[in-house]
Amino acid sequence: MMWEAVFLSLRVSAVATIVALPLAIWVAHVLARKSFRGHALLNGLVHLPLVLPPVVTGYLLLVVFGRSGVIGGPLFEWFGVTLAFRWTGAALAAGIMGFPLMVRAIRLGFEAVDGGLEDAARTLGASEGRVFRTVTLPLIAPAIVAGAVLGFAKALGEFGATITFVAAIPGQTQTIPSAIYGLLQVPGQERAVVVLVVISVTLAMGALVASEWLARRMVVR
Amino acid sequence: MLAAQMGDVVVSYGGSGTLARQVQQGAPADVILLANAAWMDAVPQARDVADFASNTLVLIGSAGAADVDLAALPAALGEGRLAMGYTEAVPAGIYGRQALQGLGLWEAIAPRVAQVDSVRAALVLVARGEAPFSVVYATDARASDAVRIVATFPEESHAPIRYLGGVLSERPEAQAFWEALRGELGQGILADFGYLPVAE
Repeated sequence: MMWEAVFLSLRVSAVATIVALPLAIWVAHVLARKSFRGHALLNGLVHLPLVLPPVVTGYLLLVVFGRSGVIGGPLFEWFGVTLAFRWTGAALAAGIMGFPLMVRAIRLGFEAVDGGLEDAARTLGASEGRVFRTVTLPLIAPAIVAGAVLGFAKALGEFGATITFVAAIPGQTQTIPSAIYGLLQVPGQERAVVVLVVISVTLAMGALVASEWLARRMVVR
Repeated sequence: MLAAQMGDVVVSYGGSGTLARQVQQGAPADVILLANAAWMDAVPQARDVADFASNTLVLIGSAGAADVDLAALPAALGEGRLAMGYTEAVPAGIYGRQALQGLGLWEAIAPRVAQVDSVRAALVLVARGEAPFSVVYATDARASDAVRIVATFPEESHAPIRYLGGVLSERPEAQAFWEALRGELGQGILADFGYLPVAE
């Protein structure tokens, strides 16, 4: 049961991070570079999961993505897709909880880019797409890595929204935090709790160390 | 009302395990009320410990659901999930597991169980239509119009549902509250909300 939860957590967090990352880069770009009506609204929406109690986020997910939800309803009727009680639902919850952290880190990266470098590329005839790919993206790579790691770590630790949205089903939605929670509620299960806690600390530290190493390598280049 | 007679009672809600651990760590409470006898044992400083209420364990479905014969629950569930509190930790989940074991249904049902961290979260999953059924207390079922009781677990299928409490502080109001709760007034209020009196 323990290793099942560990591998599930890794899968949920990895999928959540990989799927959310491109969207986070795009939103960070919009927030950092564009001025438009509703800028503050978009910023607020993105940060909502950071400030709402996780249980509330979980309930909102249930209302929106549940089988009778605004988005979940059509998803189920048209495509037969259900998220509740599935690991995909856990990944959705984890991705949404980690999203604000990704956007914040990447946005800082965009804001720190020297506009002169991008202008230089433009005067040399590069298209906007090419400027983004060959100048901006390499410059903000460390910020993207930092955002991805923060998002991954947050996804790894997510509990409140996950338990409310997809419950704890071994092998499907019982991640490390919900396994720890379940064990913690039973008197005398401290040993199993300690093992899981050590594993999750190791995973989180490993992700942080890996990101430091990656970021340093990118800067040297 | 009890509050009118007692003055202001400040309530700190939480799961039995959470509350017991808080008191163990020195949280300044006057009275503790728990839904789990094992956790009451973990609060040895409580005085005058006694049961003050009981409850009924029921199966709920959505508001439009038909009554269910418990023996046919595995078939009624089909591919759906049975929402329950953690079956090793949340009291309603523990009683629910005992009841299903007592009825000889646990092995068929266990793979279909979706565990959540509180009995009310289990109720929400049925109210939102994610899970067709859930095991909750009769008092919880009354709290939502979106669900209805489709079956009642036989009393002898699970350990008696016990709500226990005890006094923690030396304040006279604490003792008075605890006695009022077990007196006519407190018992009347609990009965209004659907709680059963303590089994003799």
